[in-house]
Amino acid sequence: MLSYLLKRVIGLVLVVIAVTFVTFFMGYIAPGEDPVSALLGNHQDPTLRHQLIVQYGFDQPWFVQYGHFLLNLAQGNFGLSYFFQGTPVSELIGPKIAVSLELGLLAFLISLAIGIPVGIIAAVRRDSATDTLLMGMMLFLYAIPSFVIIPFYQVAMVFLYQHNLPNLPVAGWGDLTSVIAPALILAFTSMGYYSRLTRTVMLEVLGQDYVRTARAKGVSERAVVYVHALRNAMLPLLSVIGPSLAFIVSGAFVVEVFFAIPGIGYQSVQSIPQRDWPVLQATVVILAVAVVVMNLVTDIFYSIADPRIRITEGG
Amino acid sequence: MTFESHAETVAQELDPTPSELEPDRILVAASTSPLRDSLRRFTRDRRAMVSLGILLFLFIGSFVFLPIYEHIGGIISVRSGFIHIGPSDYHNPVPSVLGEHTDEGPSVIHWLGTDDQGRDLFARVMAGIQVSVIVAVLVVGVLDVGLGVLFGVLAGYYGGIIDSVLARFTDIVFAFPGLLFAFLISAIFGGFADQQFGASGRLILVSLALGITIWPQMARYVRGQTLQLKNQQFIEASRTIGTTSVQIITRHILPNIASLIIIAATLDVSTTIINEGVLSLLGLGVQPPGASLGRMISDSAAQIPYYPWEDLLPAITMIIIVLSLSFIGDGVRDAFDPRSKD
Repeated sequence: MLSYLLKRVIGLVLVVIAVTFVTFFMGYIAPGEDPVSALLGNHQDPTLRHQLIVQYGFDQPWFVQYGHFLLNLAQGNFGLSYFFQGTPVSELIGPKIAVSLELGLLAFLISLAIGIPVGIIAAVRRDSATDTLLMGMMLFLYAIPSFVIIPFYQVAMVFLYQHNLPNLPVAGWGDLTSVIAPALILAFTSMGYYSRLTRTVMLEVLGQDYVRTARAKGVSERAVVYVHALRNAMLPLLSVIGPSLAFIVSGAFVVEVFFAIPGIGYQSVQSIPQRDWPVLQATVVILAVAVVVMNLVTDIFYSIADPRIRITEGG
Repeated sequence: MTFESHAETVAQELDPTPSELEPDRILVAASTSPLRDSLRRFTRDRRAMVSLGILLFLFIGSFVFLPIYEHIGGIISVRSGFIHIGPSDYHNPVPSVLGEHTDEGPSVIHWLGTDDQGRDLFARVMAGIQVSVIVAVLVVGVLDVGLGVLFGVLAGYYGGIIDSVLARFTDIVFAFPGLLFAFLISAIFGGFADQQFGASGRLILVSLALGITIWPQMARYVRGQTLQLKNQQFIEASRTIGTTSVQIITRHILPNIASLIIIAATLDVSTTIINEGVLSLLGLGVQPPGASLGRMISDSAAQIPYYPWEDLLPAITMIIIVLSLSFIGDGVRDAFDPRSKD
């Protein structure tokens, strides 16, 4: 177990270094006006210019700059903003991370809470009308991107509002009513993914001998499905948490922009026209590391739940 | 994924027993080429064929009908005393000319109405579909299938340095979740591409950004299949009779993995069209006044309380495209996957 863990952590460190290097390098070779001139604007004062160059470390060769970038990252420091002079990026995006985390976590929980039960119901009532209907709906949710669903949601809410019917806000962030819709829409893709996978896995497990044995010895159908079958079906589900998180992370950009949610996705989209690369770099690094770490955590859980993994992979 | 059944067929063709040399037997063997078989299964799938028809209608129609439609619009508008609205105006509105026709409903001149700047919605949707098609062809046709298959086969067949370079590159690209890598590239180099190469430069940049993140997946997939095939008996057999590596790759390996490439490429077309939409609506894809489905959805979102149709039209178009692709993908998988023979 320990050597397996060690191997995985080393792999993770290498991946994180690769991500930071690519991200740093992109900012380093970014074409267009140099950030110092942009910061100075109409006051191109040579002394101030020199000060800024030193403050931002642009006088150093690239590998020294990258070293600083990496060292700062390790301390949770993402450098200084190019747009808001002298403001640390961490100050800009710090409060946004909490919002994005809340949105992402909520969407993830919703996708599990709806996706898995729907998959179980469809598997238990295999080939019935319920099965066809549920799976059709889930296929739709899986295939249709959120930016296409959101306009329909907004049209519906505007209609309800105009007719004085109960409705949810179309944008903003704060109280529970404004949180439901974005989290649900963000959850749709993963929900479709989970429900379809749950159905497939459950059908496979329900067809196995030990399930037949359990039925034969008189275990109630409910216990067969939820105790005997579900426990073994959970394993494959655990392994797709990683990809599903990646879906949620990239989907969050769209949802945050459409709903004007003050998260890091929205913030980084706003920083594109400002050419504020450090904000963009910080966002990319944070999200990539978050997904990589979650993948590792999932794998560790997976290896605890299924000892065969450690034996074959851990050596 | 096994190729055993197919490999056996090929091996039998290489080493035919006398009875199989009878004319009838050869005819039978020729008519059951796996690819042709799959194609026949695919054409029998009604849902996939209808989807394919709709998709081809939209894709080809957007290229063929847009110039015709602009011409029709022009003639009618001149005859009915309106200002002539030429092709360039659909993309590059002059407010003083088009301003008086903002937010119109469907009419003889503007079949699906106009947007908040007086631009013809039908023309813009067709232009948007064109963008989706161009990006899909560049990303999937050129980068994904071109680079992915080339490097995948080379890495799988020869191994060595190509294999290690591919593996490292793939690891780096896969470390970025979802669209983030493409997002970073188009954000940082977008302005530069606009300045240097104009609108088509931006389109190529977006395609490159999406392509870079998608082809390693195809390459890894093709590499795995090639590796598996390489050690099969019929390949060894052809090597012993002196077939060159190039011939083995083109005559034996590529035809054997063609079905899997088709399955993966179909899925990638859908991913690419959606991702282009996402980049565009985040402001990283096609720049105004150009039209892209994603951009149209985000730009007219403000119009929803007053003219919801302007936002729903590109959204519905996107749904039709994505659902059709999803059904085609299902059909292709059923027809081309060697495991699902009926």
